[in-house]
Parts: sequence; structure tokens; C-alpha cells
Amino acid sequence: MGFDADNELLQDFLVEAGELLEGLNQQLIDLEQSSDDPDLLNSVFRSFHTIKGGAGFLELDPLVEVCHRAEDVFNLLRNGERGMTTHLMDVMLEVLDVLNAQFASLQAGEPPEAAPESLLRALERLRDGEDEAGETAGEASAPEAADEENEPDLMASIEAARERDQAAGESGEQPASDEITDDEFEQLLDKLHGEGQHQGKPAEAAAEKSARAPADSDEISEDEFEQLLDNLHGEGKGPGSPGDKAAAAPAPARAEPPARKPESAPPGAESARAAAPPAKGDGAQSRPAKKPAQPKQELIRVDTSRLDAIMNLVGELVLVRNQLNTLQSREEEGKISKAIANLDMVTSDLQAAVMKTRMQPIKKVFGRFPRVIRDLSRQLGKEVNLVMEGEDTDLDKNLVEALADPLIHLVRNAVDHGIEMPDEREAKGKARAGQVKLSASQEGDHILLSISDDGKGMDPEKLRSKAVEKGLMDEQAAARMTEQECYEVILMPGFSTKDEISDISGRGVGMDVVKTAINKLSGTVDIDSEPNGGTMLRIKVPLTLAILPTLMVVVGGRKFAMPLGNISEIIDFEGRKINVVDGQKSINVRDRAVPIYHLGDWLVSDPLESEAGEADDPQAVLVQVGNQIAGLVVDRVLGQEEVVIKPLGELLHGVPGVAGATITGEGHIAMILDLSGLFRHYARGGRRAA
Amino acid sequence: MDPREAKQLEHAEYDTAGNDEDAPKGPTTQWVSFTIEGETYAVDVLKVQEVLKQVDIAPVPGAPPYILGIINLRGNVVPVLDTRKRMGLPPQSYDESTRIIILDVDEDSVGIVVDSVAEVEEVSDDAIDTAPGASNDEGSRFIQGVVSTGENLLILLDVERLIAREGAAKRSA
Repeated sequence: MGFDADNELLQDFLVEAGELLEGLNQQLIDLEQSSDDPDLLNSVFRSFHTIKGGAGFLELDPLVEVCHRAEDVFNLLRNGERGMTTHLMDVMLEVLDVLNAQFASLQAGEPPEAAPESLLRALERLRDGEDEAGETAGEASAPEAADEENEPDLMASIEAARERDQAAGESGEQPASDEITDDEFEQLLDKLHGEGQHQGKPAEAAAEKSARAPADSDEISEDEFEQLLDNLHGEGKGPGSPGDKAAAAPAPARAEPPARKPESAPPGAESARAAAPPAKGDGAQSRPAKKPAQPKQELIRVDTSRLDAIMNLVGELVLVRNQLNTLQSREEEGKISKAIANLDMVTSDLQAAVMKTRMQPIKKVFGRFPRVIRDLSRQLGKEVNLVMEGEDTDLDKNLVEALADPLIHLVRNAVDHGIEMPDEREAKGKARAGQVKLSASQEGDHILLSISDDGKGMDPEKLRSKAVEKGLMDEQAAARMTEQECYEVILMPGFSTKDEISDISGRGVGMDVVKTAINKLSGTVDIDSEPNGGTMLRIKVPLTLAILPTLMVVVGGRKFAMPLGNISEIIDFEGRKINVVDGQKSINVRDRAVPIYHLGDWLVSDPLESEAGEADDPQAVLVQVGNQIAGLVVDRVLGQEEVVIKPLGELLHGVPGVAGATITGEGHIAMILDLSGLFRHYARGGRRAA
Repeated sequence: MDPREAKQLEHAEYDTAGNDEDAPKGPTTQWVSFTIEGETYAVDVLKVQEVLKQVDIAPVPGAPPYILGIINLRGNVVPVLDTRKRMGLPPQSYDESTRIIILDVDEDSVGIVVDSVAEVEEVSDDAIDTAPGASNDEGSRFIQGVVSTGENLLILLDVERLIAREGAAKRSA
């Protein structure tokens, strides 16, 4: 089996091992905090081991090389034969980087590059132990020998099993791994190791799994995969038979030379104690709690483009429903209204169901942060603890991807600009280590994300003067800003408070880019800060990007959809007194001057003649953009409508103020407005007028 | 009609028509010809998705001037180019023969407005000449080549350049 000979298997490996790799990221960071946690050490060891096994199976030698050495080092660690050091952790993180790069190559269909020689040497030095004798080195090579002996055997068995399956008439189109059933695994394993030997394993694996990201196990469940790989390497173990010497060490994949048994017994026994409870009680409990996807549950892997296609069709259905609703309200007949009401309900349910298939936990993004924080805090000489909440909050796949970069930027900012140096913190009476907290939660049809730190916070007065200094606004405007508005200044283009430009953040473009990115997702950013108390950024984004609740308005005879999230109220414009303040028209709403803009001036250059004179009942839609409120005058407000967002395509990409288009109930096109983009482009003086 | 079917039909139609004429020598390509401002242009038949009669074009506020707006093509939003403006020709109001040719390039659909659509022409590769006096006026940068058909000139357009974003078009031209 060459590098790309069996693509299905390779893809399966990439998915399975990719998840392990993601988990490793988190685990390694955790290990730095609690380096003697035997469960964690075992788990890391097993992950490397599993990746190695899979890579070996696919003859991906560069991966095997690295994993093998890393595994050896962790074998020593979990046996308590060497301690965790920062250097070791650095090397391991480098291993992870190399593996990630190799994975990226594999995904791109290229053969992975070998790990740098220096890294392999470093791993070997760690394995051999600067302070440890050759005894350990000899021990470490033992599993290798075991691999070589058993691998061909098992491979042959797997092949045989698969052939049996195919002969039994299974569809050849299914992923190859699908064809290895649980039963065959059992048989396979039993054959290799005798009855009952691996019985303790599933529970243990489950316990381990619950400690990590709940992987969406696909064709081959992780248990099976682990078993397969463990057995590839022919270790004998299993908490199920406590009397046995080998079983006393719950760690798999280890063939201990007899000479080492006495020394290794204490750590082995200790880890057995730690691992035993999960195998009995906890494992059973934590599994349904943390991982609702039971192993028995049938899962298939679906190409996201197919889901996109389904989502698109559902979008069409929503539009057809809207059309029917429009027709029905005209007819007023009511004979078909019941059928339409049913269709309405079914469509909504279908929409929700399809949307769910596209949901992914925000953990996909959050998972990167421990590493980001660690690297950053070491680089800056700061001490930072990361707290994460609500990692299981689900949101649309596209959103998860789109949020990754802005969030990373904000987290970097929090560490770079927010958290003080340890000594400075101590002087202020704070704990030496700062805290960055990330949380996610669902609120109605929105997702709330917050990034907060307990650092030095922001000084509104300083921001005020900076804003003037940078020429972002004049002094009067700056003086009029509320504290809240002062914080928003950091979101303006060209603003950066750090005087020297650092490598990490602070190129003066960051926050502006973040804000634009979030706005593009129809989301909002808002900031709160307290000098010396820290800063909190709250991001609110819709659950999905595909379907948007909007307010339909008519301007110059054309329909426009305004995202409902930005709208605070609709007021009659007719008969209101218009004041001109500072050259800006404004009206008084509950004793507050609200600037008004005629949307027609911005959006319509050639009003449709038939409707031009129809603006006899103009209304002002009060919208909130950032922290400012403005009134947009429209000819008519039609009402609320859920619209399906159709992208405008490459040719019209980046048109200011337009987020996309949608097709109305009558089959016409309506532009979906991007209000903050609209203000940025058209209302130059808008900011200071709030 | 499914666009693919439409394309096949065009091919089928063409094949029978082609048999009546002298078989062109060497490899040939098929082009959909149309007129703008009295000139006959053509685009590669494989890039043509379909031809539409006049539809409601919704203007996009803030869009580049050569984009007329977008249309609803069976639930998909398709931008429409103002071909005349793009090629530096004077504007003309639409009439009965005005058509929108929907081009399909890199899985993106784009419409171009033309005065009228003529037919599918088979062009022998040998017959394609480079544009005479590749001047630097607006229209010439979209020209891939010309073919003389008797006294008339068939101007073959480079679809990719025609519908590329302004900046990109300049670079590749």
C-alpha cells in the first residue's frame, strides 16, 4: 500500500488522526500545568501511538519517525522515569507543528516531508535522557521490536477480513474501513491475544475519550481503531485481569522487558488505580454525558458541499413558502390556507433540521487558544491562564471558520495589550498570572462570544486624546463621546494604542479588521472596560449565515432588506421636526438627537418612475450600528421577512453596504444591506453625530 | 430547460447544419455570435450557459459602473455586465432583440447584454487571426482574435477577460 494507493484509507486516517492531533494540542498544554497526571500522560502517549500505528499502516514513514520518538519519550514520562521540563514541552510542541505540517501536505495530496533531523535528534536525546542510563534506552527500543514482529501478521488479518466482507457482497463503494465490522475486530483481536484480554479497553478508551474532545467517530469507532492499533503492536494488557503483571500497567502498547518490572511496578500500579474507576463506573457515566454519539449510533461522513447544496434547496423552499404566503394574503380565499400553514411549519422544521447538520462546536476554534496563549505568554514573559466556557456551543460551520481569525486576533490582543507583566500585576495587588476568559453561549437565534481579561483595562480619557491625536475626529467630537464610545474608538481604522509596533499585535489595523470581519457575518462587537479591571469584548453573531431575519423596506420603488439585528425601532417620519445640527439633519427621539439619513440618497440613483411619487408615508427605521443610533428614512416599511442570502459573486465582491441579495416573495431581487458598511461608506460624519 | 440540455441541443443542431456545408479543415471550435453596435462578436459556445430575453435587472448600489445589476436566474443571483460600457461603446436602450447571454466561467455565471444573438458558427482554428492593429482602445483588450467571413469580420471575445474584475482584467491584458 503506497502513499496514495488507497485514498479512502488515507482519508479515514486523516480524519481520525487529525482529531487526535487536535486533542494533543490541548493535552500538551494541560500537561504543562499538571505534568504528573497519569491519565493525561497515558492519553498523550496513546494519541501518538495511534497516529504512529495508522501512519505505519499507510506507510507514511515521516510521520512514523516522529510519532515513534515522541511516543518513546512519553513512555518514559508516564512511567515516571523522567520528569516534564519546559524544554521537553517545547520539543513536543514542535513535534506537533511538524505533524500538522505533514497532515497539511497529506491533505493537499502531497507526500509529507520528513521531520527536521534536529528535531528527531532532540527527541532521541530526551528519550535517552541526559541524566539517565542506557538501561532506559534499551527498554525504549523494546516496543519497536514488538511492532516489527506483529505488524505483518495483523495487516494480513485485516486484509483477509476485508476480503471476506467484500465477498459477502458489501458495496465496494463504501469506504474500505467501513467494511471491518465490530465483530470482525473482536475475532481479530481474540485470535491474536486470546479471549477477554481487551475487555477492559473500550471502557478505558471511553474514559479517555470523554477527557478529550468528543470526536465524531465515523466509520471506524475510535475504540476499534485503538484496539486495532494497540494490537498491531502486540502489547498485552487490560485492566480486566488485575492479577496479571502486564495488566497492572493500564497503558497499552508496551512490551516490558522482565528486567524492568520491579522498578516500574509502583508507577504502573498507580496508573492502574487511576484508570480503574473509569473502567467501571465513571466510564459508563461520562460517556452518555460527554459524548451523546454512542458507539452503536450509525454515522456517515457527508461532504460539506452536499450539505451546502441541501441548505441551498431548503433556502429555495423557504422562498417558495414566502411566495405562497404572499399569494395567500392577496387571495384572502383561505381554502388553501391550511395547506400553506402546514407547508410553513414543515419548511421551518426542515430548515432547522438541515441547519443542525451544519453545526459544529465552537471548540474547533477554541481548541487552538491554549497553544496561542502559551506561546504568546512565553514570548512576552507574561503569565496567563486561559479559561474557556461553553466550548460545546454549536454554530454554523461557515461561521466557525470565519470566526477563527478574528478570535485569535482578539485573544492575542488580550494577552499583548491587556495582561500586565507579572511584576506589575503583583505591584497592583493582583495575582501574578493574568486570566483570559473565552466564553460562548447561545441566546435565541444568536451566539454570544466573549473574550475578557483581568488586565490593565482601557482608559477612556487616553483613548479620547489618542483619537484626536491620530486625526480620527476633532476635539469637540472626542469630548462629546461617552465612555462606551471611547472604547469603540479602538475599532476604528488606523487606531493602535501601543506606541511601538509589536510583532504580536498592534499594527493598527487589527481591531478594524476584526470589526469588519464580524460585521460581514452580520455580527456586532461591543466593548466594555474598566481601568485596572480588564477589558471585555462581546461578539454577537447569528446562528447561521444562510438565512437571515430582515425588515423589508421600499426605497425609490425598490426593495431592500435590513438585517433585523440592527434595528431598534420604526417611527413615523411624517410631521417630525428636523433640526440641523452641525450640518447634519437630526430628529428628536425621546429627548435624544438622532441623526437621520435618506436611504434613497445613498442607494437609488434612478428611482422607478411608477413609484417615485409614492413616498407619502415615509418612516424612519432606527438602527444601531456599533454604539450609535441613526435613523434611516425609507419610503415604506413592508414588514419582517426571513430571507435567504444569495452571495453577489466574485464580480460584485466588496460592494460597500450590500451584504448580498435575496429573492422576494414575488420573485424580484432585493438587496440585503450591510448597515455598518453602509455607514462607513456613505455617512462620513456619522460617527461624531451620535 | 436544463442548461446542459440546451447546450447539447445546440450542438446537435449544429452538427446537422455542419453536414450541409463543406467540412472545415483542421480542428474547429464553435462560437455563439451576436451583434453589438453593428459589429458581430462571438464567444466560445462551451462558455455559454443560456440566452435570456429581457429580464428585470436590479441595480446594485455602489457597484462598478460597468455592472448593470443582478438578475434572478432560477433562484440564483447572476450579475449582468453592461457590455457597451465595458467596451467603451455608446449606450443604447433595450428593444425587442436585446438579449442577455449567460456565460459560465469557472463555475460563476455572468450575464452580458447584447443587441441581438445571431447563430452558432463553426470556426476553423486556422482561420483565426490576431486582431488587426491591436489598438489600446477599450474594446480591443477583450478580443481574442478575428475571423473573416466573406466581407464581415467575426470578432472572437475572450470571455475571461471580459468578465474579469476591472483590476484583474488590466493585469492580464
